[in-house]
Amino acid sequence: MTTRGLRAFAVLGAFAFVATACGGDDGSSSNTTGTTAAATTTVAPATTAAGTTTAAPAKEPAPTKGFDGKQISVGVLSPLTGVAALIGKPLAAGQKAYWEGVNNEEGGIAGKYKVNYLIEDNLYETNTTVQKYNKIKDSVVMFTQVVGTANNLAILPLLRDDNIIAAPASQDAFWVREQQLFPVIEPYQTDVINAFDYLWNVGGAKGKKVCAIVQDDAYGEAGLAGLDFVSGKLAFPVDVKSRYKVTDTDFTAPVTALQKGGCEYVLATALPTQFGGILGTAAKLGFAPHWVAQSPAYIDELTAGPLKDYMTKNVMVVAVGPELSYDSNAAAQLMSARQKKYTDIKDPDYYFTFGYVQAMAEHQLFNKAIAMGDLSRDGLVKAMNSLGQLDAQGLGGAYFYDVPDKRVPPAMSSLFKVNTGKPFGLEMIKENFETQYATDYEFVKANI
Amino acid sequence: MTTANPAMVRQYGDDIRLFRSRAMKLSWATLIVVAALLPFGMSDYQANVAVYAGIAAIAAIGLNLLTGFTGQVSLGHAAFLGVGGYTGAYVSGEWNMPFMVWLPAAALAGAIIGLVIGPFALRLRGNYLAVVTLGLVFVAQYVFENWKSVTGGTNGTSVTAPVKVGPVDFSKLSVPGKDFTRDQSYFYLVWIIVLLVALLAKNIVRSRPGRAMQAVRDRDRAAEAIGVHLARYKVLAFVLSSALAAMAGALYASYQRFINPGEFTLFVSIAYIAMIVVGGVGLIFGSVLGAVFITTIPRVIEEVSAKYQAVEDFLDRIGMTVFSLNQAVFGLLIVLFLVLEPRGLGAIWLRIRLYFKTWPFSY
Repeated sequence: MTTRGLRAFAVLGAFAFVATACGGDDGSSSNTTGTTAAATTTVAPATTAAGTTTAAPAKEPAPTKGFDGKQISVGVLSPLTGVAALIGKPLAAGQKAYWEGVNNEEGGIAGKYKVNYLIEDNLYETNTTVQKYNKIKDSVVMFTQVVGTANNLAILPLLRDDNIIAAPASQDAFWVREQQLFPVIEPYQTDVINAFDYLWNVGGAKGKKVCAIVQDDAYGEAGLAGLDFVSGKLAFPVDVKSRYKVTDTDFTAPVTALQKGGCEYVLATALPTQFGGILGTAAKLGFAPHWVAQSPAYIDELTAGPLKDYMTKNVMVVAVGPELSYDSNAAAQLMSARQKKYTDIKDPDYYFTFGYVQAMAEHQLFNKAIAMGDLSRDGLVKAMNSLGQLDAQGLGGAYFYDVPDKRVPPAMSSLFKVNTGKPFGLEMIKENFETQYATDYEFVKANI
Repeated sequence: MTTANPAMVRQYGDDIRLFRSRAMKLSWATLIVVAALLPFGMSDYQANVAVYAGIAAIAAIGLNLLTGFTGQVSLGHAAFLGVGGYTGAYVSGEWNMPFMVWLPAAALAGAIIGLVIGPFALRLRGNYLAVVTLGLVFVAQYVFENWKSVTGGTNGTSVTAPVKVGPVDFSKLSVPGKDFTRDQSYFYLVWIIVLLVALLAKNIVRSRPGRAMQAVRDRDRAAEAIGVHLARYKVLAFVLSSALAAMAGALYASYQRFINPGEFTLFVSIAYIAMIVVGGVGLIFGSVLGAVFITTIPRVIEEVSAKYQAVEDFLDRIGMTVFSLNQAVFGLLIVLFLVLEPRGLGAIWLRIRLYFKTWPFSY
């Protein structure tokens, strides 16, 4: 792995929720039996990024579906093949790296419960996701990763029927208020609101033409919802809204629409392959607005080719967390060590980190459920509803878990510009900021 | 004196009989009993795969009526499925209508769209008709994505379509000593409908309208010359086909409880063409075989790959994934069937049956 790749963890880590020992601030007694990542600078096998902090259980959890008394089985529904394999593989690898680390370095969750992760390929298709859900639902305590907004929506009725928790690998705001879902990253809408609020008031966008190009699906709608919200608050119009399909390979029409509309700031809610195509088309057409990309659109490989100069001049990325070097953060160090040891991922990216930090947060959830003596589906729901603040160890905003109506997702974002000399090819413009409008945004459940 | 094998076809009446022998009736009865027993031993996953296969079979029968029996090429089947799905979702969800209303309503919506598209077939044929029906998929996609009050737009919509018929709730069936899961219960609902639809289609194709449709397929001008009303039968085929597809779409939506426009793309239409090609163009039970084959083969390949590490290792060595193997098998099957057995799996079955029927003079 290249130095840049290693250091990429720094910013990647910004997306991370680093699980803390006890998971939550509910006041329950707990014993810290390990060293927390924040307190260590070396990667010791027995040290977790979260720190192994498990409250002494009131009673040993009884065997239940997905838990035989010794082993906790979890499910992953990720596109390992097909059009979305580019994101699915690293997402699943992130989970693998974390759980292998827990199993091999810590003896399992709470030092004794090994994690058995069942990975199923959902092909990024809703009906396949439903099938694979049915295939393993009775063998797992929860789904620790379900990739794709539409796929999460498709299994939501099933999750409710079966009272199973799933962690969406998707940042849609729909998930915030959903009892059966366990999101761990700030919503897409929050990032967009923060970015455009900042750019409008401070970054020179005031009076300029603001537009958007979004994927024609629920992910794209989420980005657009954030932009519509902030444009309403700041009273600026969104002049052009271009859409494309995830299967498109020619972006001439949507990019030309932006160019003809005279767009000067363009929100891009896209995936990396398509974002590369969009930028390539724009460069070819001589169209150079300020692109504001949502974090899933960016991978540093995009800057490795002929787009490097264009991206350096024109692309910003809104994500969360500070610009960190790899060496400065113990959690990122541990993640890097596990990535090398347990996966065949060469260059970790945003998606790998997402999968890894999901598992970290889930580790907290399991710790809590074990402390409460109940790893059943009911027990996990109760544990989630009393989990409290997840400690992000300074890497970014932290989720607060209570009953769904009282959950508070992180409202902080950071704005970066492309600089290939920096970790992950990103240089900080504005670090960890939170705007009033981002906190004003109302999260509603999906109409499912 | 020897008697003729009752299964042999000796006159036209024999040819159009639904059951040609007692043995055939017995075979069907056995098949139905076996199918009825299947959910007792099925996991939810297996039932789930079977339900999707059954839903596909309903739509495939519809496409076969249009393409296999009337000779009208259509790439618009996905659009009809979508129309049915969204209609079922809306009628059941917004108007709180029961199964016996939302399912016919979906079929009616599909039939109306078929009635609109059908007349194009009067002036166009072959590739040109295919292009028109292809356009229908894109128009439907646009509508599904933008008529948000009905479809939920690109986010999709939830579906709360009940499947209760009188006192029988097909989402939670039970018999003494056994409570079926939702997936197992749906198995019964969907495959009962498959049986009814197959029976309906079989009756259509062996009756006067069916013969007229086949005459149109074989040579439409000649059919017209002998008195077949081209407009009536071409439009009828579109109406029937789209109604069945819409019904399948509504069942799909009801079962999955969530649909979005991404589920009704051109690829879905192509998959249905593949189903009837692989199953047998112009064969009702071929549609069912094709649907089962195409929907289950990816799962079978996955299961085999997962069970036998050697398969996965081999795929790794040749640089393939299970997904790419699935794609390759899918394409290869269509090519092989077109070249080697254009009448598909159904024809293979017919040949096997004929072999035993004419034994010992089979050759």
